[in-house]
Amino acid sequence: MENGSASLETNVAGIQMKNPVMTASGTFGYGNEYSDFIDLNQLGATVVKGITSVPWPGNPMERIAETPSGMLNAIGLQNVGVDGFIEKKLPYLRDFDVPVIVNICGERREEYEEVTEKLNLTNGVAAVELNISCPNLHCGGMSFGVDPKLTYQLVKAVREKTALPLLVKLSPNVTDITVIATAAADAGADGLSVINTVLGMAIDVNTRQPMLQNVTGGLSGPAIKPIALRMVWQVYNAVKIPIVGMGGIMTSEDALEFFIAGASAVAVGTANFVNPRAPLDIIHGIRTYLDQNGVRSIADLVGSLQT
Amino acid sequence: MPTVTSERPKKFDLVTKILANEQAAQDHYLLRCECPEIAEGALPGQFIHVLISDASALLLRRPFTIYSVEGDQITILYQRVGAGTDTLSHLGRGDSLHVMGPLGNNFSIPPNLDSAIIVGGGAGIASLMLHAAALRKLGTRTLGLVGSINAARLLSVADLEAIEVETHISTDDGSIGHHGFVTEILTQILEQPQVYELHNPVTYACGPYGMLRAVAKISRKFRVPMQLAMENRMGCAMGVCLGCVCKVRTPDGGFEYQRVCTEGPVFDAEDIVW
Repeated sequence: MENGSASLETNVAGIQMKNPVMTASGTFGYGNEYSDFIDLNQLGATVVKGITSVPWPGNPMERIAETPSGMLNAIGLQNVGVDGFIEKKLPYLRDFDVPVIVNICGERREEYEEVTEKLNLTNGVAAVELNISCPNLHCGGMSFGVDPKLTYQLVKAVREKTALPLLVKLSPNVTDITVIATAAADAGADGLSVINTVLGMAIDVNTRQPMLQNVTGGLSGPAIKPIALRMVWQVYNAVKIPIVGMGGIMTSEDALEFFIAGASAVAVGTANFVNPRAPLDIIHGIRTYLDQNGVRSIADLVGSLQT
Repeated sequence: MPTVTSERPKKFDLVTKILANEQAAQDHYLLRCECPEIAEGALPGQFIHVLISDASALLLRRPFTIYSVEGDQITILYQRVGAGTDTLSHLGRGDSLHVMGPLGNNFSIPPNLDSAIIVGGGAGIASLMLHAAALRKLGTRTLGLVGSINAARLLSVADLEAIEVETHISTDDGSIGHHGFVTEILTQILEQPQVYELHNPVTYACGPYGMLRAVAKISRKFRVPMQLAMENRMGCAMGVCLGCVCKVRTPDGGFEYQRVCTEGPVFDAEDIVW
């Protein structure tokens, strides 16, 4: 840490971090992809791409489309499966001094439980992020996260299987996110990741075909930042457990908005696709802001919105 | 046939200055910039990922194959197709450009290759120029089949001829060269390889999806090995967003989605599930 500067160190939901900036699931691979560009040790934490009990092939092309200040994706959770992750991907990340948070997903409760139990037995997993909000699955995924009862049951089931810190990643595609947030908190979540992508679509008017083969997809990037910020603020006022804020964060100023709205940490997502140094630039910018404004620790900023 | 697995050069993400950005044909531009870090390691078929503007309205970068390398300078040849490339086409000498590269894998040359055919459709020829130069440097007899919509959009013929690639042109409207598709010329050549002094040639292709599929079918029919460069829509180009995949055969008889930015852009045509 730089001399005399504010403390960025924080503990969120039982995850001890050098600073409150993570990389969001599905936007940073397994770390090695960025090794030419940044020092992973400088990250607060990294959340790896959603893992399922068996490898998933993912959706057919086209999978992404650019939209104004954003992008749509319908990747369909292509991943190597939990065994492949533990054998082939985790060893690289384990060599760094950065907490690894594993995002897990499935179509049925039993799959989430199976993946969790395997992660329990694995060294180098700092926390689990329960993905109940992937919009690109036809069953499972988001269908858990739009129903408070199913959310409660799934979070409780996974909670009973693990002592690891448990984050629950919420979907914005609901009428009232505080209802789902409360269900997850009541079921024993240690923290909430707010938000996953916003369901959207785009059309090629010349062919009258959807831009995505899946027709709909998840919108991310600066276009969704105001929505994400509003939901972080709502959840902050509804539950006591800490929030990891995410959704369109490109700059340190974006990140600071999330802290002020009530996030205890932030995750940088789509920005990684454009600027591999985005998380480090954001960490630097947060430190500068705290110093310039006489804020001694990041915790003093959390939920400091003046209304 | 050995697919390419030569060691990849280190990737860089840097801001450079544009030296020139000139029209090469109707709707096509040749952009040159000073990039010693990228120029040093760039292999034929590799690409750079360009941030068009710092304004976030156009969020994603755009991938462009490295067209040529001269000393510390690299060039890209691009088609103006949308808002991103339109903005790019208005930049000029002295403007800064944010580029990442060199990215992806590269074309390979089998040992003792006697002759080669490169097949470029539209701006697809851009992916083949550096490779054509590599082939000619080895003294490999190289035919260049260049397809275009019309004469006004015809690309790279002079550049190919300058390195003694024997060019054959086709246009959709017949305004220059063969009236029809480049694939028709390829069939004609492969039916009589001796006439064209070809011995066990390899085909290298880049262009629209339909053209690649047709070239793969023809190459297969004549038992000619083929490497192709895919040009999928791309997100990160670093292998993490999984947005640019194509369907590739696996040894167990199934398939998997592989990343064009990382496992590609160059694939063995036999591996692609069309």
